[in-house]
Amino acid sequence: MIKTVDLKKTFVGRGQTVYAVDGVTSHIKPAEVVVIIGPSGSGKSTYLRCLNGLETFTSGHIMIDGVDLANKKTDLNLVRREVGMVFQQFNLFPHKTVLENIILAQQVVRKRKRDEAEKKARQLLKKVGIAEKENEYPIRLSGGQQQRVAIARALAMDPKIMLFDEPTSALDPEMVGEVLEVMKQLAREGMTMVVVTHEMGFAREVADRVLFMDQGKLVEEGTPEHFFTAPREERAKAFLKQVL
Amino acid sequence: MKSRKQIWLWHLLTVFILLLLGAGLWVATKKIDYTWRWNRVPQYFAYVDETLVPAPFDARVASLQRSGGSTAVKLTGENGEEKTFEVDNDSLKVSENEELFQGDYLGSVSSWRLGPLSVGLWNTLWISAVSSVIGLIIGLITGLCRVSNNPTLRNLSVAYIELIRGTPLLVQLFIFYFFLGTVLDISRILAGISALAIFAGAYVAEIIRAGIQSIPKGQMEAARSLGMSVPQAMTHIILPQAFKRTLPPLAGQFISLIKDSSLVSVIAITDLTKSGREVITSTFATFEIWFVVAFLYLLLTSVLSQVISWVERRLAISD
Repeated sequence: MIKTVDLKKTFVGRGQTVYAVDGVTSHIKPAEVVVIIGPSGSGKSTYLRCLNGLETFTSGHIMIDGVDLANKKTDLNLVRREVGMVFQQFNLFPHKTVLENIILAQQVVRKRKRDEAEKKARQLLKKVGIAEKENEYPIRLSGGQQQRVAIARALAMDPKIMLFDEPTSALDPEMVGEVLEVMKQLAREGMTMVVVTHEMGFAREVADRVLFMDQGKLVEEGTPEHFFTAPREERAKAFLKQVL
Repeated sequence: MKSRKQIWLWHLLTVFILLLLGAGLWVATKKIDYTWRWNRVPQYFAYVDETLVPAPFDARVASLQRSGGSTAVKLTGENGEEKTFEVDNDSLKVSENEELFQGDYLGSVSSWRLGPLSVGLWNTLWISAVSSVIGLIIGLITGLCRVSNNPTLRNLSVAYIELIRGTPLLVQLFIFYFFLGTVLDISRILAGISALAIFAGAYVAEIIRAGIQSIPKGQMEAARSLGMSVPQAMTHIILPQAFKRTLPPLAGQFISLIKDSSLVSVIAITDLTKSGREVITSTFATFEIWFVVAFLYLLLTSVLSQVISWVERRLAISD
């Protein structure tokens, strides 16, 4: 579903070349839940953002469902509607109500009729458990509620893949659970998910595979049992020692 | 309760200071023996225009017929031709069967006309309105060019903004009227409106640019991640939010534009300022007219600022 071949992303600043993503090769299969973990600045968010073209990359290939993002002729807008993304800072549209947030892209991008889009939106709001808030503005919701709306907004486009960029990092601790619960439910339903997170519990419980990144490189990958109990690499061991 | 009382005292002090200033001005004008003639002012807003109605040929008054406030005067000429005129009752100068020569007045018709101050006010109003709308459109386009990725669009918009902001509006008006007006053969009114619109556009562009840049990057990313194109994201997500944020500075800009429109009087457009000057030449009521003109500008600008603050309150529901 998502194939990455020798992906490199460099920043040039003050005469230095920094490798944010340094030769990552991976293959994410349909219905697979992949969790990417690693220390800050390891390039995991940058890698994730490359997957839907929010970041350009320097070299390598990303194939989403057989479409190569490196090809200049690829229409990124067509790719992005198949790849949903949830951000750390929620990024709800503050000038629109919860319902409008979810309807807008359906109408503008998917060209759905208003009532069809509304039906879909209500259905998703029910699924993420905040059906009663549809006419509120985002500012009146708690962080956890906002993030759940953001997930519903991404799901409304019927994406084949969902990307999560540290979805719980900006939340108060007591709200992390409700967001993770929605993500677990999605995973159970067979959504292909790539999750950058610091929630080791989530990784252990839900992930089919864990990717460990450090300094732009994919250092280790494996099943959660393997990664959390018997990592091979020293850097992974050191990291786990710190976080667990 | 106590703090409320004190606030009223402060307000009272404000009123007292203002009254003191007013009294000072009054004393000052007393000293120079200026005769205030406020009673002359109203006629320059609206006046009754009396048109005398002459007999078009030698004739006899065949009949007079009153109906309401006017009288129908029926004339019969020597050759049998007939004609009827309407004049006001109290201005009627002829009686039935009276013989008239050509040019004798039958009476007059009076009607209300707008005076020069009203006409000037109207001209200022519509010139400012039209140039605001065009200025907003120019500013929006330039502002978008200013933040675009295309270097040519960016360069052109920067050049335009710098050029307009770096030169006085008065000079721009002269260039538009004398240079462009001559070269492109455009009328003075068109030259005036384009100069104002292009002047306002440069400032609006910078306001719009600041507004767009003040919207967090995540908004554009969220919109793009949902598959929206840049124009779609701009129209649905970025611009509505930017518009809300830029409303106060935009209001300031349009209030400035109303005031700046007084400069078009130098290219002989009869706006409020020029009307005021014209009225002064016939009345010598210099002080009164300038005060009235200032008050009328104040009226226009405060109505605009009220309207905008109403819109602002409407948009604040999502805060």
